[in-house]
Amino acid sequence: MIKKFKKILFWFLVLFLLILVCMPGIWIFVSAFRPNPEILAKPANWIPDKWTIHQFTQMFSISGYVSVPAFKYLMNSVIISSVSTVIAIIIGMMGGYAFARFNFKGKNKIFLGLMLARAVPGISLSLPLFILFAKIGIINTSFGVILVYVAMNVPFTIWLTDGFFRQIPKEMSEVARTDGCTRFQAFWNVELPLAGPGIGAAAIFAFLLSWNEYALASVLTRTVHSKTLPIGMMDYLDEFTINWAGMCAIAVVMIVPAVILTFIVQKHLVSGLTFGGVKG
Amino acid sequence: MANVELKNLTKKYGEVIAVQNMDLVIPHNEFLVLVGPSGCGKSTTLRMIAGLEEITGGEIYIGDQLVNEKDPKDRNVSMVFQNYALYPHMTVEENLGFSLKIAKVNKNEIQQRVKDAVKILGLEELQKRKPSQLSGGQRQRVAMGRAIVRRPDAFLFDEPLSNLDAKLRTQMRTEIKKLHQKLQTTIVYVTHDQVEAMTLADRIIIMKDGYIEQIGSPIEVFNNPNNVFVATFIGSPPMNVLNADVINKEGKIYFELDKDILMPCPESKIGLLSKRKEVIIGIRSEDISPSISNSTLDDLWYFEKTIDLAEPLGTETQLFIKLKNKEIISRMYNPREIKIGEKISFSINLKKIHIFDSETKKVIR
Repeated sequence: MIKKFKKILFWFLVLFLLILVCMPGIWIFVSAFRPNPEILAKPANWIPDKWTIHQFTQMFSISGYVSVPAFKYLMNSVIISSVSTVIAIIIGMMGGYAFARFNFKGKNKIFLGLMLARAVPGISLSLPLFILFAKIGIINTSFGVILVYVAMNVPFTIWLTDGFFRQIPKEMSEVARTDGCTRFQAFWNVELPLAGPGIGAAAIFAFLLSWNEYALASVLTRTVHSKTLPIGMMDYLDEFTINWAGMCAIAVVMIVPAVILTFIVQKHLVSGLTFGGVKG
Repeated sequence: MANVELKNLTKKYGEVIAVQNMDLVIPHNEFLVLVGPSGCGKSTTLRMIAGLEEITGGEIYIGDQLVNEKDPKDRNVSMVFQNYALYPHMTVEENLGFSLKIAKVNKNEIQQRVKDAVKILGLEELQKRKPSQLSGGQRQRVAMGRAIVRRPDAFLFDEPLSNLDAKLRTQMRTEIKKLHQKLQTTIVYVTHDQVEAMTLADRIIIMKDGYIEQIGSPIEVFNNPNNVFVATFIGSPPMNVLNADVINKEGKIYFELDKDILMPCPESKIGLLSKRKEVIIGIRSEDISPSISNSTLDDLWYFEKTIDLAEPLGTETQLFIKLKNKEIISRMYNPREIKIGEKISFSINLKKIHIFDSETKKVIR
């Protein structure tokens, strides 16, 4: 009896904590589907009296947007995040492999330098970057933002993939090379598939970092040309009013793809590869 | 199918010498075993032949071709690693066929060759499995299969049995020997286990600190070790060695093995001593045997000593005695019960003793 009670108590506690953690998300989600006045109601109204998709139709209306060009922002975000992720992963993969497998002069110092670069807060770079980009004419372009995000992500992807490549015994590539592979073939056919889950993890992190980044993008993007979703959200901020419902709606547009993506890829990450080729 | 030749091969890591001026010809179809303690340069030598380690100096020929500058992939040798290094993301079949796929061999031929290897090694049931679903012995077999499929000029084995348990190791050892007879290929095999070396090799190379200490057939290196190192490394239990003063007493030459224990120097060896005051005497444990009756044979010499310890093994009992505070092992065949502290008479076969220079540690012949 006491045992059962304890179990019930435990699950209530878990539920409570879960609700606590998810509350902001739930609030955003609920608020995206109700009119603005209801959001401001006091005491808070948890379950909307009236559900509406007004904000979404306004953002994504077929005959052109009414409130905010959300589709354009979404496209900017998708392009900037995915392109910068792909580039950062390719560079990071090669860099990580080099750090894990080769010995070269100043290896440790370069690695330390990369890690230190990560310690610099991005926002402190915003002003120099703004001036620099303005001078060379890549301010307010997707290219400029991609460049910054790649620079931001590369040290991280190098660090992560380096760790994964280290876990693969170097005999793997050696045996592949005596099996007739060039160094690159050994990397491509053997080591890369084995490091796959790690590279996937690095890709998700890099993508989410770019997808959610606000501080630098707010300085480097000016118009609908290059603004990403987090910056686009600020379009709902007027001098005297704040359209909370619109902000929540655009936040939902931001959150949903990220959650779906993480969900798809994490399955591959968890399933992973069981290492059986080597006896440890 | 080719011979392998090393000329003046040297490898240095900075100032540290791993292999020094190694000269070696390995004829086609020879089973050569490199043996030595860890850090003696045996694995480095193997890896240099494979092309995985750059060489500092010298030349390597495989089948009369200089391969110094060639990539591992172009040397046509196959290597089997201690930890098997199977590709974990491929099935047994794919593991076996990988090298052929890379070489763009056509599919039917790949299938045929994989099938042959599978048959030779008895892997029929396991073809579709991943390495993680195999036992240690099975993984070892797949690793060998992967080497066979390529039909290389030479097989290189780097301590392939070290990760297996004792029983499996003996079994795989026999299989490797059979495989060699079946394939008729040059094999270079590295191990630190002298039993493996003795049982497998056509020729053994004993290495130490980057140098070759001795080359010869297993029986040769066992019976005629060049120096103290080889003498104590080959054979189990290791050869008993002890420093002995050379004493001239009443016109006869003796070795003082312990206080008041003087072993006469065999006539044939007196000429070799040439005024040496001290030598190292090596006696294999089977050449010191407990004996009850005093035989009159010239070659046998008797002494008495108390037993410190006895280890019965069934077919024999190993008796531990002390000479000059050094532990000496004697083998007693047809064992009886032994009491510790018992005084026993031992006979030494003087024909079988080894005499080494006390300075250079080299054999005096």
